[in-house]
Amino acid sequence: MIRAEHLSKVYRMGKIEVPALREVNLEIEEGEFLAIVGASGSGKSTLLNMLGCLDKPTSGAIFIDGVNTASLSENELAGIRREKIGFIFQQFNLIHSLNAVENVSLPMFFAGVSSDERMKRAAELLIKVGLRERMHHKPAELSGGQQQRVAIARALSNNPEIIIGDEPTGNVDSKTGDAIMAILKELNHEGRTLIVVTHDAEIAAHAPRVIRMRDGRLLEQ
Amino acid sequence: MKDMILLAYRDINERKARTVLTILGIAVGIAAVIALISVGYGFRQSVTSELVEMGDLIMVLPGEASWGEYMELGRFNDRDLKDVERISGVQEAAAMASRAEEVEYRGERKMVNVIGVEPQDIDVIFGDIVNTEEGKGGRGLRDNDHRACQIGYSIANDYFDEEIRVNDRLNIGGKKFRVVGILEKQGGFKAGVDSGIFVTRRDAKSILGNDDISEIWVKIRNIAEAEGIADEIEERIDENHKLDDFASAMTMGSAIEQLNTVFGLLQAVLVAIASISLIVASMGIINTMLMSVMERTHEIGVMKAIGAKNRNVLSLFLVEAGLVSAAGGVLGCVLGVIGAYVICMCISTQFGMNIPAMVQPGVMLGGLGVAVLVGILSGLYPAGKASKMSPVEAVRYE
Ligand SMILES: Nc1ncnc2c1ncn2[C@@H]1O[C@H](COP(=O)(O)OP(=O)(O)OP(=O)(O)O)[C@@H](O)[C@H]1O
Ligand SMILES: [Mg+2]
Repeated sequence: MIRAEHLSKVYRMGKIEVPALREVNLEIEEGEFLAIVGASGSGKSTLLNMLGCLDKPTSGAIFIDGVNTASLSENELAGIRREKIGFIFQQFNLIHSLNAVENVSLPMFFAGVSSDERMKRAAELLIKVGLRERMHHKPAELSGGQQQRVAIARALSNNPEIIIGDEPTGNVDSKTGDAIMAILKELNHEGRTLIVVTHDAEIAAHAPRVIRMRDGRLLEQ
Repeated sequence: MKDMILLAYRDINERKARTVLTILGIAVGIAAVIALISVGYGFRQSVTSELVEMGDLIMVLPGEASWGEYMELGRFNDRDLKDVERISGVQEAAAMASRAEEVEYRGERKMVNVIGVEPQDIDVIFGDIVNTEEGKGGRGLRDNDHRACQIGYSIANDYFDEEIRVNDRLNIGGKKFRVVGILEKQGGFKAGVDSGIFVTRRDAKSILGNDDISEIWVKIRNIAEAEGIADEIEERIDENHKLDDFASAMTMGSAIEQLNTVFGLLQAVLVAIASISLIVASMGIINTMLMSVMERTHEIGVMKAIGAKNRNVLSLFLVEAGLVSAAGGVLGCVLGVIGAYVICMCISTQFGMNIPAMVQPGVMLGGLGVAVLVGILSGLYPAGKASKMSPVEAVRYE
């Protein structure tokens, strides 16, 4: 499903080179729930960005459903992000000027789904994450936990096979974090592949498979 | 598209003050262009319609007149006048002998255009519009008047410190004249009447010292024959003086043509100047859009992360630029129309010319189109910049 081969990423800041990923090999099966842990700066976000097609590796390759993403154009990569992957960020990253339903329907808008269908599905998804009463609220009018639920609904809007979360519970209290994790686990039970970066050992304990990173390398599998 | 507009509108709404300024910038540019075109068109229309009213007149000058410049080559004489009168199709021919002369009124001296003309010919040349003001205006000139003059409205009221009244005495070219009549204010194309002093040709001869004719006005029976008659007039007079291209007879039709070219040119220059404000406005849009792109780097990154194509981001920003400039265009049309009326009002109070502000729908539509075009062209660079942002750089940016 997802396979990374000799994946390396070097950030260049002027003359200084920062190796963030070094020769990472990783295979993730369909429907798996994988947690990535490690110290700050160990390269977790960098790896996740590569797997989620947000960024391109310096060397090595990523195969998604057998397709080498290095060979894809920018628009094709946008297509993968839109159709196959749902990204959930630590900072929620909702669009401030749009209300909850509009935020959720945005990926469908980019996918060319008709307005009626978008609104219908966005409403369904918001109900699914428990925000029936908050559909027309702007992000600023929602709590952190509620914003993250909107973000999850948004990640689901084009019904992707893969859900990627970069510390999805990092900006909410532990009780809310548990609720968020419950929703994500539920999505995994539906058959979606779930990849979550976390600092929280408790959350990592939910995952059947945990990989640890240090200095841009995978430690154990 | 509808959703794109909605999305762009939400973004614009977040930045009201700056957007309003940008819209104003565009509006001022468009308004200036629309107002100038409308006033210019109205001006042209009013002058043209006045000339059309005088379509049965031919003006004959002893010299070369073209492109608004006139070079006098000599003078006509009474034989020329007689010959012109004899041309078939000519109803009447009136001679004018004019020259700037020193005029004294109660110790004050001014150079004024003194025009010698047969009294009954005044009507031929200027139509029956020129009448003496009822009551205090006195009377018209008469054939047997001696040392009498009829003066234009401006001469009576503006030229000299003290207002000139009927029966006042003037000293023209060293000779005493009595004012028998004061003409009504004319303005517009006949403004020359307002600043002239009319005397009989006999008196003119005594002032000017000769019988020379400086211009001949011909009234014809059929406007359709105007060009042919004009050619014949030139031929006859040239023959009299054994010269080529001496007389130039101008029909009102050809005068309209010449005026139109001159006006067209003048207007093009004015519009070109007004267009500079559009260029400034365009830079305003580029600036606003670039700022908006910078501020929304993060948002753009999020959109790309959730699957927006470059094209989606590009059109989002182009639609935003288009919306802003369309709003500017609409406001510009409104301001332009108001501006046109205000300018025309100013002209009528300042110069006494009644110019209608002629706002054509085509010009407004054009203004709107130009506004949107300028907006989209200006938005192209910022939008392109936004669309090329990498999703991860943008997401990291806080
Ligand atoms: N855009 C960038 N430019 C330069 N260096 C970067 C960039 N992004 C990450 N790095 C560096 O790469 C290394 C890995 O960063 P990364 O964000 O992947 O760590 P992380 O494991 O996600 O840390 P955290 O737990 O704090 O989020 C760090 O040393 C970081 O400073
Ligand atoms: Mg990180």
